[in-house]
Amino acid sequence: MPTLSNGRIEVNRVWKRFRADRRRPMLAEQLALAVRRAKRDNPWRWVLRDLDFTIEPGEAVGIVGTNGAGKSTLLKILTQVMYPTYGGLTVGGHVGALIELRGGMHMDLTGRENSLLYGSLMGIGRKEIARRFDDIVAFAQLEGAIDRQVKFYSSGMQMRLGFAVAAYTNPHVLLVDEVLAVGDAWFQQRCLDRMREVVQQGTTLVLVSHDLASVQAMCHRGLWLQNGMLTDDGPIREVLTSYRRSVEEFSSEHLGHGGSVGVLKVEVGGEDGRLLVSHERLEATIELRSHERSRGRLYLGVSEGPGTPTLLVSTEAILEEGDTKVTCRIDAVPLPKGRYYLWMCMESVDDDQLIPWHPAGTFDVFGPDLDWAPLGIVRLSPVHVRSNWEFVESNGHE
Amino acid sequence: MRDLDSIPESPPAELRFRRRLGLVSTSVELWTNREVVRSLADRDFRARYKQAFLGVAWAVINPLILALVFTFTVRRFANVETEGVPYIIWAYTGLVAWGFFSGTATGATNCLVNNQALLNKVKVPRETFPAAAVVLAGIDTAISMLGLAVIFMIYGRLPHTQAVWVPVIFLVQLVFTVGVALIVSIVVVYLRDLRQIVPILVQIGLFATPVAYNISQLLSPGWRLAYSFVNPMAPVIDSYRRTILYGYPPQWLYLGAGALTSLVLLVGGIRIFKRLEAGIADLI
Repeated sequence: MPTLSNGRIEVNRVWKRFRADRRRPMLAEQLALAVRRAKRDNPWRWVLRDLDFTIEPGEAVGIVGTNGAGKSTLLKILTQVMYPTYGGLTVGGHVGALIELRGGMHMDLTGRENSLLYGSLMGIGRKEIARRFDDIVAFAQLEGAIDRQVKFYSSGMQMRLGFAVAAYTNPHVLLVDEVLAVGDAWFQQRCLDRMREVVQQGTTLVLVSHDLASVQAMCHRGLWLQNGMLTDDGPIREVLTSYRRSVEEFSSEHLGHGGSVGVLKVEVGGEDGRLLVSHERLEATIELRSHERSRGRLYLGVSEGPGTPTLLVSTEAILEEGDTKVTCRIDAVPLPKGRYYLWMCMESVDDDQLIPWHPAGTFDVFGPDLDWAPLGIVRLSPVHVRSNWEFVESNGHE
Repeated sequence: MRDLDSIPESPPAELRFRRRLGLVSTSVELWTNREVVRSLADRDFRARYKQAFLGVAWAVINPLILALVFTFTVRRFANVETEGVPYIIWAYTGLVAWGFFSGTATGATNCLVNNQALLNKVKVPRETFPAAAVVLAGIDTAISMLGLAVIFMIYGRLPHTQAVWVPVIFLVQLVFTVGVALIVSIVVVYLRDLRQIVPILVQIGLFATPVAYNISQLLSPGWRLAYSFVNPMAPVIDSYRRTILYGYPPQWLYLGAGALTSLVLLVGGIRIFKRLEAGIADLI
């Protein structure tokens, strides 16, 4: 095996397939399988197709994609617990994985015994883990409970212990899967802080998450997987933009049907049809058709793609039978330059969905870019505000 | 952005992923990960006796009870030739040796299946799991040997000097046991029925092996040789008794036959294990 500089990952035309019918490992199924094999009827399904990329030492790479796109499979192959069917891969140096380890714990053993076991499974000796033990316990906030049996831990404590051991193995490559989906907000921030430390020490980071904001906060480069294929590979902002756009396109195909009020036309822009610029007035014009007199609340939301809006406005609305043209003006829109999606819905007084929550259109904002956030700090939504800075020296010299 | 249409329907055959399956590289990898084996065995040992009131004493009580059962059943209805050795010592010696094999077989059946969560997430050579099952059974056997020492003292006996052959006999048993452990542990991942089948086979094995009776009273020399090929535990247990209790050297012909089968099983076991091990994460 050729030696590779530590922290470098080479994925060379990797293909991976599973059986489409998830066979169960029982005698009857195995016999049925043998029969089918004899008939040359092999229902394989490709979950990764021709992945080909290189990650340099010290890079921080985020992998995004919808459920079932192959992210977890790719991560398992990078961890080398799973082998590719075709292709090859080399990972330089020691690989650590920051993953949910709760299932692997032995409930009858204490936290201390479990962490010693994990340490040696992850390739660090008992002596080494004993040396870092205080850090691990502090990270997991288990000071009082480390010598208690794990079955008496809360589920949060179990999760924290699993992460804490993995976080202190000091690998050359750190793989992180959906850490940010578990634990309370405070623990999530500690995980992000720890990842930042690790990246600053020159460790290669590969992060898989559905939380796009934290991916953007941690990573410089993005890989977008779609149906097992590498759709996009580039600077994280660009990859996330195209990923969000595709999520929105998908949503608009699958949402927005089945309300009793129809949306005929949506236009978003600046005042009087001009271009929309940051901190100026946004004007949304919506034409609605109602088959009866409807009363309810009309909501408009603005997002970067997914159905979780950055800002949301609403109003009481009474629609007479027939067509109604609604104009909504938002003063001084605090959005930075970019493409946004207008989502809308209408609910009647008794919570009926007159219009379901759906993306009704897109619009562009012109203006300044957002300021950079420090590495590892998650900015939940893009809001642009003007700021003034003043530095006054006051060190006592006259 | 990549043009996804340029990706072919299926990969070119020459890209097929291959791994090294060699005997040497497997052994080296296992040796470099000996601390993992230790940790796994340590975990299972602690977990097994953690909440048992009598703790490790069970490693002695278990074969002792069986030896007593044999005394009141087999001994009563059959005239077992023990060359003047008290039957309880004679039976306990066989049960200690058998316990190492049956403990390993039972432990190996569950060692991969019960550790799915780890196997899916942590990169660690899979051989360490059956290896840990062997070590764990070994620890239990060592404890039950303490029980044997106590029984020897009660009867005021000493092992014969021929007991110097015990390491050789144990090597044969170890090769056989490891071979079985490797095969059972990996095949059960693909065939879960084995979880039910193995305990039954182990129980049958206890009676198919001369643990409670003397094989030379049942089979002619020719059949004994044939049976030694089929069940290496038969000459192994007989050899332990000959050396430790009677003071004779082992019958090399029978032990050699068992050793040959054991070696084939070990080499085949490593092959099968390495071949099937690649698919573990796809399945569990």
